[in-house]
Amino acid sequence: MREQLEQIRSRALAELAAEATESAIEDVRVRVLGRAGELTEIMRGMREVPAQERPAIGQLVNQIKTELEARIEALQGKLKEAALERSLTEARLDVTLPGAKIPRGHLHPITLTIENMLRIFNAMGFEIVATRDIEDDFHNFAALNFPPDHPAREMQDTFFLGGGLLLRTHTSNGQIRVMEQRRPPLAIVCPGNCYRRDELSVRASPMFSQIEGFMVDRAGRITMAHLKGVLTEFLRAFFGSDTAVRFRASFFPFTEPSAEVDISCLLCGGKGCRICKHSGWTEILGSGMIHPNVLRAVGYDPAEYQGFAFGLGVDRTALLRLGVEDMRLFFENDVRFLGQFPASNERFA
Amino acid sequence: MKLPLSWLAEFVTVEAEVEEICRRLTVAGVEVENIARVRPAFSDVVVARVLKTERHPNADRLSLCEVEAGPVGRFSVVCGAPNVRAGMITAYARLGSRLMSGVHGQGGVEAIEQAPPLQAAVIRGIKSDGMLCSERELGLSQEHQGILELDEGESGADLASALYLDDTVLEIAITPNRGDCLSVLGLAREVAALFGVKLKEIRLRPGKALKPGSDQVTIAVGIDAPDLCPRYAALPMAAVKIGPSPIWMRRRLELAGMRPINNVVDTTNYVMLALGQPLHAFDYGKLAGGKIIVRRAGNDREITTLDGIQRALMPDDLVIADAEKPVAIAGVMGGGNSEVGAETNTILLESAYFEPMTVARTGRRLALRSEASYRFERGIDREGQVRALYMAAEIIRKIAGGREAGPIVDVDARPAPPREIVLEPGAIGSLLGVELPTAEVSRRLKSLGAWVTSGGKGKLIVAPPSFRPDLNEPADLAEEVARLNGLEEIPAAAPDRRSAAPAAEDPSRIFARASREVMLGCGLTEIKSIAFVASDDNQAYPGIGTGKPVRVANPISAELSELRCSLIPGLVTALRFNLNRQAGAFHGFEIGRVFAMDGEQAAEFERIAGIGYGEYAMGTIGRESISADFFMIKGIVESYLESIPGLAPRSFVAPGATSLAFLHPGKSAAISIEERQIGYLGELHPRAASHLELATPCVIFELDLTAILAYAAAKGRRVELPPRFPAVRRDLALVVEQALPADKVLKTIRESSSNLLESVRLFDVYEGGSLPTGRKSVGIACLYRARDRTLTDSEVNRAHAELIERVRVGLGAELRH
Repeated sequence: MREQLEQIRSRALAELAAEATESAIEDVRVRVLGRAGELTEIMRGMREVPAQERPAIGQLVNQIKTELEARIEALQGKLKEAALERSLTEARLDVTLPGAKIPRGHLHPITLTIENMLRIFNAMGFEIVATRDIEDDFHNFAALNFPPDHPAREMQDTFFLGGGLLLRTHTSNGQIRVMEQRRPPLAIVCPGNCYRRDELSVRASPMFSQIEGFMVDRAGRITMAHLKGVLTEFLRAFFGSDTAVRFRASFFPFTEPSAEVDISCLLCGGKGCRICKHSGWTEILGSGMIHPNVLRAVGYDPAEYQGFAFGLGVDRTALLRLGVEDMRLFFENDVRFLGQFPASNERFA
Repeated sequence: MKLPLSWLAEFVTVEAEVEEICRRLTVAGVEVENIARVRPAFSDVVVARVLKTERHPNADRLSLCEVEAGPVGRFSVVCGAPNVRAGMITAYARLGSRLMSGVHGQGGVEAIEQAPPLQAAVIRGIKSDGMLCSERELGLSQEHQGILELDEGESGADLASALYLDDTVLEIAITPNRGDCLSVLGLAREVAALFGVKLKEIRLRPGKALKPGSDQVTIAVGIDAPDLCPRYAALPMAAVKIGPSPIWMRRRLELAGMRPINNVVDTTNYVMLALGQPLHAFDYGKLAGGKIIVRRAGNDREITTLDGIQRALMPDDLVIADAEKPVAIAGVMGGGNSEVGAETNTILLESAYFEPMTVARTGRRLALRSEASYRFERGIDREGQVRALYMAAEIIRKIAGGREAGPIVDVDARPAPPREIVLEPGAIGSLLGVELPTAEVSRRLKSLGAWVTSGGKGKLIVAPPSFRPDLNEPADLAEEVARLNGLEEIPAAAPDRRSAAPAAEDPSRIFARASREVMLGCGLTEIKSIAFVASDDNQAYPGIGTGKPVRVANPISAELSELRCSLIPGLVTALRFNLNRQAGAFHGFEIGRVFAMDGEQAAEFERIAGIGYGEYAMGTIGRESISADFFMIKGIVESYLESIPGLAPRSFVAPGATSLAFLHPGKSAAISIEERQIGYLGELHPRAASHLELATPCVIFELDLTAILAYAAAKGRRVELPPRFPAVRRDLALVVEQALPADKVLKTIRESSSNLLESVRLFDVYEGGSLPTGRKSVGIACLYRARDRTLTDSEVNRAHAELIERVRVGLGAELRH
C-alpha cells in the first residue's frame, strides 16, 4: 500500500512539472484527487488494511493530498499570472481614441456676467430681488420722475402692450416696486430683462439685461461719497483691482445729482485707442442720488430718507469683458460661441 | 449740438487747450463726444480787391485784371470769370498757394498738403501771377459760374479765417435737462463758470425804426392761451430783400449742422444757435389784419406746414393765428400760408416762450421735430425773447437790407414767478458726503448765474437764473455745486452697515440657478432668445398656458409683433441657426419669461424649456451613441424633476386629441402634478419637423418654473436613515393589455401591496413571440423589506402571493412563467 501511494505521488509530481499545462494539471487533479481519484479509491479500500496500519496510511494519504494540492495551486497561480501578463500585453487600446463622453452644457455669457455681478453685490450686502418685465407707466416712468411728454422719455423708446401696460425700459422699476412695499434701510439689486425699440444690430438689441441697485437709509447716512465707494469697490472686484474709475456729472430723471461712471478702457488701459474713442475711458454705468420726487412717489419723505441708485447694462459690459463688439452674438446662440463658456458660475477671464 | 470754437470765442475767451476745455465740460456733465478739426480745401488764399479789368488781347472771354491784396502786394492775373469787375472783393490764390480739386466738403490737411503749389502760368501769351477763385475751386460749394464775391473784407487777410473755414467743431451731447446748453451762449456760460472767467458782453441794441408813414406797419399781438404761451414778442421789418446768405453765415450754419435756406430764415436759425431762442419769420403781407393771436386750435382742424404737408390739428394744439386762420403750429413749424418767399418785402419776426409740454405733445403726435421744437421742449430762457429780436434785426439789416418797420411788440401775459430755493446749512454736504464752506457754495452758484443771498444762520437763499428751469430744489443745487469742480472732490466711502446678516436672494432666482445647473449637467447648453416673435410662432407653439398671445402695440416689425407664449420658438430658431452652420447636433435649454393675456391684462410667467436633436451622448468609435428621442428628453426631464427636493409626485400622460398639437401624438406627454399641468415633452410633430427640414427626431420639453417651485418641498425636510436590514427581491412577469400604461401597472401594485413592499421597478416590457396579439408582458421587480428585522422567506412569499392575486384581479393580468 505504501508503495502504491509512493508511486501515485511520484507520478503525479512528475506530471506536475514546472511547465505543466492547464489541462495537464487538471488531468492530474481529477485522476488523483477527484471524487473517483486514486487517493479516494485508496481511502475507500482502507477497510482492507490491517487496523494497526490504518492511521499511518491515512496520514500518508492526507500528506500526499496536501502536497499535491499545494503544488497544483502554485502551478495554477503561476499559469494565471502568465495568462494575465499575456493578456496585458495583448489588450492594448489606442488611448488617443475619443472617450464616450457624458455631455456637458455651457452657461450663456450673459448669465455668467449677471451671476458674477450679483455674487459681488450679494457679498457687499445687497439683497437680490426679482421684479417684473410688464409694467405700467407709473412704475416705469411717472414715479421715476419722467413727467408725461418729457423729452427724457425719448431716451428710452418704449414698447407698449395696450391696457396702459408697457415693457419696462429699465430695471429702475425695481426701485419703485420695492420701496412701495418696504421701508429703509434698503440695499437691493434687481436684475432683469429690459426692452427698447431698437432693432437687433451690432450695437443694440430690443431686449437686454440690466442690474438696478439702490441703497436707502435715513437722510445723511447714505451720501454721494458712499455711492462712489460702493461702485468703485464693485467695479474693481468685477474688472480687476487696477481698474481706474471716474465719476462725471450727468442727467437721469430719477437721480439728482447724477453721475455717469467710466472705467479705464479695458483694451488700452487708459492710454487711448479706437474702442474708447481715444479718451482712455469707457462708460459703464449710470448712477446718482435718488431724486426727491422718486422718494415722494413711493411715500418717503425726502427730508427723512435719502439714498443712491445705479443701473448697469449687462450686455455691453459682457461685450467689453469678452473683447467682442457684436451684440448679435448673444442672441444667435451659435454653439461655436457658447461652447467656449464654462458650465459653472466661475469667473471667466 | 455742434459748437464751432470760432463762434464760442465770440462769447468767451479761455486760456486753455481744446482738450482741457473738453475734459472739463465732459466731467461737468456736458459730454463732448467728438472734436472735429475742419480745414479749408486750400492754403495761402487771401482776400483781394480787383482794381481794374481789361479784355485779354488774344481771347474774348478772358480778362486781364489788376488785383490788390493789401500787404501781400499787387498782382496781374488772367481771369475767365464773367462776373469779374473792378471794385469787387474776391479770393486771390497767389503763387505757391494750394487748391484742392474744388470738390465741396473735401477739406483736410493731408489732402491739401498733397496738392501741387500754384505756379505762374502763361495764358494765351500773357503771364498770370496766380488766380481768382470760384467757390468750387475753394471747396466751398459746387458754384463755378463765376469767381467768389465777398460783401466785405480786408485786402490781404487770410481768406480761411475771414470765412471761418479754419475751425474746430465740438460735438456735444446735451442731456434733456440742459436745454440752456443748446446754444453757443449757453455753452459759453458753462465754459466761463468752469474756468472762472467772465462772458464777453454782447451789445445788442434796438435799431432805429422807420419814421411813421413810409413803410411802417402796425401789428397787434394777443395771447389767448397764457397757460401755454406766457410771452410773445414780435418785430416787423420792412424793405427786406430775400436772397442767399453770405458765405460766412452759410458756413457757420453748416458747421453747426443746419442747412442754409435764405438770408431771413438763416438769420432766425443763426440767432437760435447763438442764443438758444428759436425765432420764426412770417411774411407780414400774408398775415390777415396785421394780427397775431396765440391760441388753441379749437375749431381749426388743419394746417399745411412749411414742408407742404397737411397736418391735422387737435383742439388743444397751440397755434399762432392771424385775424382769420392759423399761420403756424406754435414752436413746431410755420404754416405754408405765411411763408417767407422770394417776393417777401416785409417780415414779422416772432420770438416767444412756449411751454415745453405743449410743444412736445403736438410735435410727438405729428411726428414733427425741428431744431426749434427740440429747444422749446427742453425749456428755453424764460427772459430771452427780446434780446434775440435785437440780434436778428441787427443781422437782417446787414445781410438782407431790412429796416425795423415798427417797435418790438412784447406781450408778457404771464410773467415768470420768482423762484427761490432755500439751502439749509449742511444740506449739500449731507447729500454729497463732503463738507463745503457756505461761502464756497455761494461762489459756485453765483458763477452759474444764480442770485444768492444769505438767509441768516448759514442759510442761503438761491434764485436760479431764468435760463435754468431745471433748478428747483436743494438736490439740484447740490449737483451744480458738485459738478463745477468735478466729482473727484467727493471722497469714496464705505456705507455703515446696520446689519451683518447675509443678504437675501429671491427664491425664484435661487431656483432658476439650481435648475440651470441640472440642465448643464444633463448636457444642455444655455441659450438666450429675444422675447418678440411673429404671430405664427405663437400659433405653432402656444406653450403651457391657455391665455391669448400678448400683442405689441408698436412692434419693430411684423416678425416681432407679439411676445412669446413659449420658449420653444427661440430654441427651434437656435437649432436651425446651428444646423445651417454644419452642426450635426444641438442640445439646448433656456430659462426665461413668457407672456400671455390673463383676461384683459398682459401677464408674465417663468419657464424652463429644452430641445434635443441628433447625437447626444456616450458614443465613440465602435460604440453607438445615444441620440435625441422621446426617452432621452424624458430622462432629462425626470432627472431634473428628481433633483428638486421633495417635489410632489408627477405624472406623464399621453395627450388628448386636441392638446399639444405641435408634438407627435404618439410620442409626447403632458406632465402634471396633482392634476395641474406643469409642462409637456415629446417629439416635434413630423409635419413641423419636415417644415424645419430636420432629418432625425427633434425632442422638446417646457415646464412651468413657478408651478414647480410651488410644489417643491418647503424648508426643513427630514432625512431618513439608510435601512439596516437586507431587502428581498421577487420578480414578477404580468401579461396585460398592450394599451395599459406601465405607470398604471406600477400604481396598482403600489396600492395593492402590504407595508413590506418597499419599492417596485419596471425592468422589462415584451411583446410578440408567444404572446397573443394585443397583450404585452411587463417584468417587475418587487423589493420587500422591514425596518426592524430581517424578513423570512415565508413572510416574503406570503406577501408576494397576496400581491400577485390582487394585481391579477385588479388589472385583469395573467402571470407569465
